[in-house]
Parts: sequence; structure tokens; C-alpha cells
Amino acid sequence: MSHDGDEQAGVMRVNYQFRRELARKIEGNLANYCYQCGACAGDCPAAFYCDEFNPREIMLMVLYGQGEALLREDSVLWLCTNCYNCHERCPQEVKPVEVIISLKNMLADMGIYPPAVDRIIKTFEETGRTVQLSPAIDKRREKFGLPPMGAVPMAEVRLLIEPALPQGKPAQSEPAEEKK
Amino acid sequence: MKRLAFFPGCLIPARYPAMEFAIRQVMPRLGIDIVDLPEASCCPDPIYFKSKDKLSWLCVAARNLTLAEDRGLDVFTNCSGCTATLSEAYHLLKDEELRAQVNARLARIGREYRGTIRVRHIVTILRDVVGYDAVQQSVVRPLAGLRLAIHYGCHLLKPSRIMQVDDPNNPEVMENLVAAIGGEPVRHRNWYLCCGKACQREEVPAEMMHDLLASVHSEHADILCLICPTCFGQFDYGQHKVAQQYGEGFSTPAVYFFQLLAFAQGVPYEKLGFETQRFKPECLRDLPFMEPEPEPAPAPVAAEAAPVAAEPAPAEAPPSPS
Repeated sequence: MSHDGDEQAGVMRVNYQFRRELARKIEGNLANYCYQCGACAGDCPAAFYCDEFNPREIMLMVLYGQGEALLREDSVLWLCTNCYNCHERCPQEVKPVEVIISLKNMLADMGIYPPAVDRIIKTFEETGRTVQLSPAIDKRREKFGLPPMGAVPMAEVRLLIEPALPQGKPAQSEPAEEKK
Repeated sequence: MKRLAFFPGCLIPARYPAMEFAIRQVMPRLGIDIVDLPEASCCPDPIYFKSKDKLSWLCVAARNLTLAEDRGLDVFTNCSGCTATLSEAYHLLKDEELRAQVNARLARIGREYRGTIRVRHIVTILRDVVGYDAVQQSVVRPLAGLRLAIHYGCHLLKPSRIMQVDDPNNPEVMENLVAAIGGEPVRHRNWYLCCGKACQREEVPAEMMHDLLASVHSEHADILCLICPTCFGQFDYGQHKVAQQYGEGFSTPAVYFFQLLAFAQGVPYEKLGFETQRFKPECLRDLPFMEPEPEPAPAPVAAEAAPVAAEPAPAEAPPSPS
């Protein structure tokens, strides 16, 4: 006979494992301070223009550790316009947009991004810029007497972005990574 | 001349070189000596790469800041996105633990972030270093009689604790700059609304842009004055798209503020790249140059009328814009 309270219908168990994972991201733990006042939602353009997006509800899901519903293809997280109104308005300095970006970091760990986002990230990782350079760009610059856009020292950028902070380590000092 | 490092980013130099051209024309006239950082990379952008891995994003941002630190110069930005990333990096890296973590990675390339320089958006340089009066004095072709609707965009102002540019609820810097170049600043009803660019569902930015444009349009502004290149893309191409989609006749030309300032300082219309815009600020074309300041004329007259005044005309002429 199962009288386990957690199993009862209507009872939600906080998934602390999820919260701990999110907390490993920079500022991923900030939702802990959310008291659900809704200031973020009131001033959120994405919430105004789409019914499915509500930063207060996202913070609530995170508080319960139920963020896994957010971590899938076509995640509602990508409706965020990154306007930072919620960051500005939050009386608890939860920075909902930063929690949302931390959740996106978890999505990225799973290798899930919208194609448009993926393209820009790849361009950055390959060239150190978010705009793909081309002779046409340099020609346009020349018209204004501007020099060509130089190449980014990618050896340095690559060393900085790889390898990513290993999973499972809290955000403390960088573990000894003597790989390179 | 005040020396400052310049971080132009990716979007302006690659997509909108006319904006960079305008800045390089304008700043020396205002006493700012631009020092380039040729080793710089993308800031990196605060929307996409940051969404992948915040720590890597922060490390690359810190590297860019160290380039200005090497030169002992504050760095100024011209793109709200770059400003967001670099200002946030500066802010986050006050945390010692995080700074140690970032410096452990920077050590791989023989660099160290020390937090010795500030990040400053270019409008704050005009306000705080140059001063509105000096901007006004540099103008030879004021935008007199033109109504300029102002759109701040998001990242210039928010989060204000980090950006430290202006009051996000009642900003003034762009209004004052528009007034300094002789235009009439207009606050449209949706001045605070996001342009929607980062939202990954196409209908949403389109609807937002529609509401924004309706608000701008109702002000009968001659020009929509912008300070963010991402907003510019949304308003120029976006306006074209929205006008088609909603069948409405929106046609307010969007212009980046520094192109307007360069024009007001006398750079010819044809040199400012407006022909590449979908909506061109034709209203600028016929603006007259100011009458040349009356020469310190009283001298000869005075000499005639009153022989006592033998002194030559005062040597101190008003600073003449080159």
C-alpha cells in the first residue's frame, strides 16, 4: 500500500536536483528569492504579446524545480525579448531574464537551440564575430574610407571558450584543467 | 584631446559602416581622440552566445576589457548590445570568486582582468566628457524645424544598476542631444517598448513593431532617432515589412543619432550612407547652414566711432568647428 505523500494526486514535490543544476550557472540560483509578486510579468513585452510566456510562472516552475517542462524543443524561453524590464522591476533582484538565460544554458548543454540562434553562435565560435565577414562588407567599408575588418585572434578566443566548465562543479574556482 | 579606447563591435562596422564613419567624423571634432583595439572580438553578444554558456561569454568579454586595460584607457561603445555585455562583465567581475574563475581561464592566454577601466556608452561621453554645450557649438547646420521621435531601445537604459546611463523611467540624454543639434525631441507613446528583435517567434516582433510604428507615426515625426543598431535594423527593414503586412503607410525614416550629428556638423548628406536605407531622411537635404557667426566685427566700427578703443578685436574667437 502506498501512502507515500509524494505520490498523492495534486501534491508536487520540489525537484531540488533541478534547482541545484540550475544554480551552477552564473546567477542561475536567483529565483530562490522570488516571492511571486508579478512585477516582472506586468512590464514584460513578451507576456503582453504572447499568452504562453509569463516570467512569473517561469520563476514559479523554477522554484518548484519543475524546469524540465521548459527544457525542450520549441521552449517558451525563446519568446523572451531580453528587454531587461523584469531585471529592472524586480524588488527582490531576482533578475528573471538571467534565470531564463541560465535555463537556456541548460538547453544548450542538451544541444537544443532554435536554428537562428544556432547559426549566430556558430558564426561567433568560428570567426569571433556574430556577423559573417565577407569581401562585400570590406568593400562597403572602403566606400566610407574605413579599413577592412581584421581577423579576430581566434586561438585566444578558442582557449577561452573551450572546454566549458565541467558539469557537476559548483561555481567556485576553476578546476585544474591541464588539458592544453 | 581626451583619449578613449573604442569598441565598435560587429554589427555597426559590418552592417552599418555609415554609423562608424559618422562616429569617426564626429568624435575628433568634440575633442575625443579615438584609440582602436584591433585585437578585439565580438563583445560577445548578450543574446545568443550568452545563451549558450554564460561563463565563456564572460571570459571573452573580460578579454576584450583587458585590451583597454593594457592601454590604461576607458572604453566607449556605440552599440547597446556591446554596452550590455561589457558593462555586465564589469559589474559581475566585481565578485571575487567569479573574477578568480574568469582569470583562471584568461591565464591560459597570458591575460588577467583587473577591473581598472570603465565601460562607457558613447552618449555618456557626449554628456559627461564633452558636454551638451560643446556638442551644440559644433553644429553648423542645425536640424531646425524637424521633429525627431526618440527611441532609446532596451539595453542602453536597462538594467540601470549595471548600465548606469540614465533613468530608465524618464531618460533625458537623447532628448538633450537632439536639442543640441537643433531638432525638436518628441517622446512617442511607446518610447520604452522593446523592438522585439531577440524574440524567436516571428509574429511577436512584427506585432510589437506595428504598435511602435503606430505610436511614432501618430506624432508626425520627421525622423525616428535611434541609438541602437539592432533597433535600426528592426525599424528600417521592419517598417517596410510591417507596412506591407498591415497595409499601413508607415514611412518614418529611422536614423542613428551619430549620422544626424555628423550631418549637423557639416558632413554632406551624400557621404552619410542614407541611400542604403529603405526609408531615407530626405527632409535633411534642404537644411541650410547657419549664417557664419558675425565676425568679431565691432572692432573696426568701434575704432571708427571711438578712437580711444585702440585695442584689437578680442583674440578669443568662438571655437570654430572644423
